[in-house]
Amino acid sequence: MKWILPALVLSLLTLPALAQPPSDDEVNEVAARLYCPVCENVPLDDCETAACRQWKAEIRHQLDAGQSPRAIIDDFVARFGQQVVGTPTDPTLRALALVTPWALALGALLPGALLLRRWARQRKAASPLQDAPEAQDAQDDYRARVEADLRARR
Amino acid sequence: MPGAELMDRPAAGAEARPAARNHPGLLVLTAVVLLLSVFFGIAFSRNSTQPEAGVAPDFEVTTFAGETLRLSDLRGQVVVLNFWASWCGPCRVEAPVLQAVHERWRERGVTVMGIAYIDVDRHSLAFIEEFGLTYPNAPDRGNRVSDRYNIQGVPETFVIDQQGDIAHFFYAAVNQTALEKVLAQLLPGDE
Repeated sequence: MKWILPALVLSLLTLPALAQPPSDDEVNEVAARLYCPVCENVPLDDCETAACRQWKAEIRHQLDAGQSPRAIIDDFVARFGQQVVGTPTDPTLRALALVTPWALALGALLPGALLLRRWARQRKAASPLQDAPEAQDAQDDYRARVEADLRARR
Repeated sequence: MPGAELMDRPAAGAEARPAARNHPGLLVLTAVVLLLSVFFGIAFSRNSTQPEAGVAPDFEVTTFAGETLRLSDLRGQVVVLNFWASWCGPCRVEAPVLQAVHERWRERGVTVMGIAYIDVDRHSLAFIEEFGLTYPNAPDRGNRVSDRYNIQGVPETFVIDQQGDIAHFFYAAVNQTALEKVLAQLLPGDE
């Protein structure tokens, strides 16, 4: 039992030394999920403006205080608005933001394809004999006769 | 003539087809209009600029000192609404100017109010302390105020008259002479 007290004291003394400050990688991992507040479409981890440096320092500060990456991101959203994460955090709004462009594109392409098909069919229907073998034979025959007439006139 | 009757009759099932299927061009047109609306909607919302006239958008903030301030409660006074950040270089230049204007004009009905734009609170507080700012300053939670004023960067300053209308907008750091000239126009005889 004599060793318990010294062990406890020793562990209390060494614990702060063992607690490492957050590494740059850990900071950048969170920063990569946020966007620069003053540039357009630049992830925070790629940005070196004064505002970004300050935000990264804040991430480091919060990681050091034991906050999880999720909690840090939520805090940034609460303080600075949804634009810091690029997409809405609300699941419904996020789904809408991701699905709407595809739905619109599909909405434009599908009728476009239908229209093309319809036009192709209409053209085909307008000249039903053009592709038929009999029509081709008739054309060849007519051409042969015209050429024969021309030869006869010379 | 039974044959003519047959020819005039529409093909079986054609009437039952939905209009969209009979007119795919209409669908394409609708989709194109929708796409253009979205495109121009986004473009216009991104390009919207700061209001330089008309009624100043109202807002309520809680200052760093814990006081709740609502812009509309300051009707009858001239408000100098300044957006700033501790990471902004020009803001460091104008902070002493705003403090001087606050000290010189507050008794004459001018309220200087600072809004910290996308700034970390402890850095904002350090900035306030560094420049000895005594006029009210508040963080902009969720960018609600700066969104309403379409803030593009900092510093930006709005001078709001006694009726709550925007009288002047400063795009960059304010210059004391220029700011006081605007205030003197709004408060004639008080200079």
